[in-house]
Amino acid sequence: MMTIKTLLSRVALVAIMAWPAAGVVQASEITVAVGSEASTLDPQKRDDGGERAINDNIYETLMARSASGELVPGLAAAAPTQVDATTWEFKLRPDIKFTNGEPFNSDAVVVSVTRIIDPAFASEQMSYFGTITGAEKVDDLTVRIKTSGPDPILPSRMYWMKMVPAKYSSDPKFISEPAGTGPYKLAAWTRGQEVVLEKNPDYWGDAPSIDTVHFRFIGESGTRMAGLMAGELDVITNLLPEFVAGVPKSAAVQGVETSVIILSTENDVTKDERVRKAMNIAIDRKALADSLFGGYAIPTKGQLVNPRAFGFNETLEAYPYDPEQAKALIKEAGAEGKTVVLVGEAGRWLKDRELIEAVGSYWETAGLKVDYRIEEFGEYLNQLFDKNHRPDGVFVVNSNELLDADRETSFAYQAGGTATSNKDEEMAEWVKQARVETDVAKRKALYAQITKKANEHYYLVPLLNMQDIYGFSQRLEWAPRVDAKLLVKEMKVTE
Amino acid sequence: MGKFILRRIFQGFLVVLGVTLVVFVATRLVGDPAKVMLPLSATDQQRAAFEQKFGLDKPLAEQFVTFVEGLATLDFGESMWQRRPALDVVAGRLPKTLQLIAVGLGLALVLALPLGALAAIRPGGFADRLTVFGGLFGLSLPQFWLGLLLIMVFAVTFRLLPTSGYGSWAHFILPAVTLAIPATARLMMLVRSSVIDELNQQYVRTARAKGLSFRQVLFGHALRNAMVPFITLAGWELISALAGYTVVVETVFAWPGLGLTAMQAIKHSDLFLLQAIVFTVAICIVVVNIVLDVAYKLIDPRIKLA
Repeated sequence: MMTIKTLLSRVALVAIMAWPAAGVVQASEITVAVGSEASTLDPQKRDDGGERAINDNIYETLMARSASGELVPGLAAAAPTQVDATTWEFKLRPDIKFTNGEPFNSDAVVVSVTRIIDPAFASEQMSYFGTITGAEKVDDLTVRIKTSGPDPILPSRMYWMKMVPAKYSSDPKFISEPAGTGPYKLAAWTRGQEVVLEKNPDYWGDAPSIDTVHFRFIGESGTRMAGLMAGELDVITNLLPEFVAGVPKSAAVQGVETSVIILSTENDVTKDERVRKAMNIAIDRKALADSLFGGYAIPTKGQLVNPRAFGFNETLEAYPYDPEQAKALIKEAGAEGKTVVLVGEAGRWLKDRELIEAVGSYWETAGLKVDYRIEEFGEYLNQLFDKNHRPDGVFVVNSNELLDADRETSFAYQAGGTATSNKDEEMAEWVKQARVETDVAKRKALYAQITKKANEHYYLVPLLNMQDIYGFSQRLEWAPRVDAKLLVKEMKVTE
Repeated sequence: MGKFILRRIFQGFLVVLGVTLVVFVATRLVGDPAKVMLPLSATDQQRAAFEQKFGLDKPLAEQFVTFVEGLATLDFGESMWQRRPALDVVAGRLPKTLQLIAVGLGLALVLALPLGALAAIRPGGFADRLTVFGGLFGLSLPQFWLGLLLIMVFAVTFRLLPTSGYGSWAHFILPAVTLAIPATARLMMLVRSSVIDELNQQYVRTARAKGLSFRQVLFGHALRNAMVPFITLAGWELISALAGYTVVVETVFAWPGLGLTAMQAIKHSDLFLLQAIVFTVAICIVVVNIVLDVAYKLIDPRIKLA
């Protein structure tokens, strides 16, 4: 029961502080909280979520994706055409300007490409553009992009490369005063705290309905949640599954991350295929998805490739959960009581440690002993990338931003790949062929072959496709995208 | 006095240099920025290009020479995470941490003295029991949990204060209180026990016998003599806050200070930024120490400044 006195004192406090109460906010102004701080507003330097969330609204790319992940033309007028095996031609949309007045044309594309692939620039995004060797202007609205070899993924790559103005991008001010072609432009940047964007009045596409957006940097998930509950925030990212019930509104969408354990085909215990099979069928993936992630994850279908990616094999089934057969296989292989080393880390990905320990306990139930090695992130990476000494099992969460199977296959399937632990030379050859096969049907068939073989030989223990969970205020309306991009132009508020 | 301060400044300079060198070696031993900063899918060539850009491919001796040359001109290189001079990043964040510490510890000092003295007047009495209980309670609350609890009560339930962030004076209240509660508890318990000690001294009885009032004895003698341990602990609180106590509070309240930035530098293996932060914090701590020594001398002339 609130007395008059306390009521008055509270009202006075609120009045003194002139703190806007929830609901007094402008209808067309929203606040989005992101977990990591924007480090630079140069859209070509870094590769982190804090920078991307903001720059995705300021800058645009030649190709774009629909909310469900389909590749569509962006700043390009149409999908690119191939001039020869290593040259792609893009026609550009006319009459588009950067917010500093420079025109968007072939010159801008040439500068954007040469700038990002310049080794002296040391872009962290180079892993997306490794095949690109340069760009040349044909005319004002026609530009050709060159690759080192045939590159079927080039159109997808151009969905990741943000276009910067030809002249201004070499100005030192560019990193803190951005100029893009996108629906929003920078209004204010208070380092470490927030970035404010406002509608770009000259935007070439449909005008967005939200005028102003504040991006606030809040690393702690509990604090983000509190901000949403207090009415200060409209959108929060990476909402924890256990918090879903507590927010005004939430939405989840299948994301680009998939957790996996990469098994060594050479080490003592895991070189026996029966053991690797047992390690796969000993795990109840559905139970992991439901208990650890509150149902916000989907058991993988016997492969690491993201279900939305080109090259996902529809014909493969999820590995069954058969603890009895797993036990029998371990016994048959003479591996009962033998130790497998499971390398992982803690704190980088959602519930990573819990997932690693849960999987390990399934393996122990099947009769193996598990030596958990939860390492500091830097040391963990040393072991993940060590080509000479592969752990029996190494846990990793793979992320496929380009939605193309080349990412997973070159990362974990191809012998000698970034984090691969098998020595299957035939399969490695297929991965290399698929990477340069520009015939779509043939390429799809190669990925079907690769994923099927890896599935039958149990090279990997694919675990769960993660979902991205967002929390919203009551007034915000938005359907999250599969590529995890926070596109404010798609958002609306109802008052 | 002047000679003493000069000597301490020189010693402090050596300490800062030593700490900075240790950090140089330690960061080179543990972090591998090219692995941590680049996406997992990056190739070995891409990592090599990144290392070349930041000079991490050079032999350690050569990196060390570059580092020392930079140190002489206060140039710590470019933060890999923010891609601008590391010291610029620090310069933007340090004042915010200092403000938070000033308000938080200021609050603790203002509260601890009267509360501790009040408890000491009648040991075992009601006021004493209440303050001791409060003190123990304040000491045992995990700061992280305390911060979130304050947010839930004052920002979410009553909507009186912002949940997090930096900007208006309203943003200061919850983080400063979170920082102040455990510090107040520690300081208050110390004041209490020191004053109880002093009040049992022979000179207090003498002073009372001479006809001085209890109030004159308490404020004129006992509290003044209790100030030496109090200042020592207050200095310690300040040094702990500078050396990282604020990290938790800054994290919970999304406070854009140096503690949070240090965490991010570690997370990103941003060696250059980390070196700049440690260097700056070391200077702050050395300065605090010198100020403390001078303060001792002013309070108690018997203390020899060696």
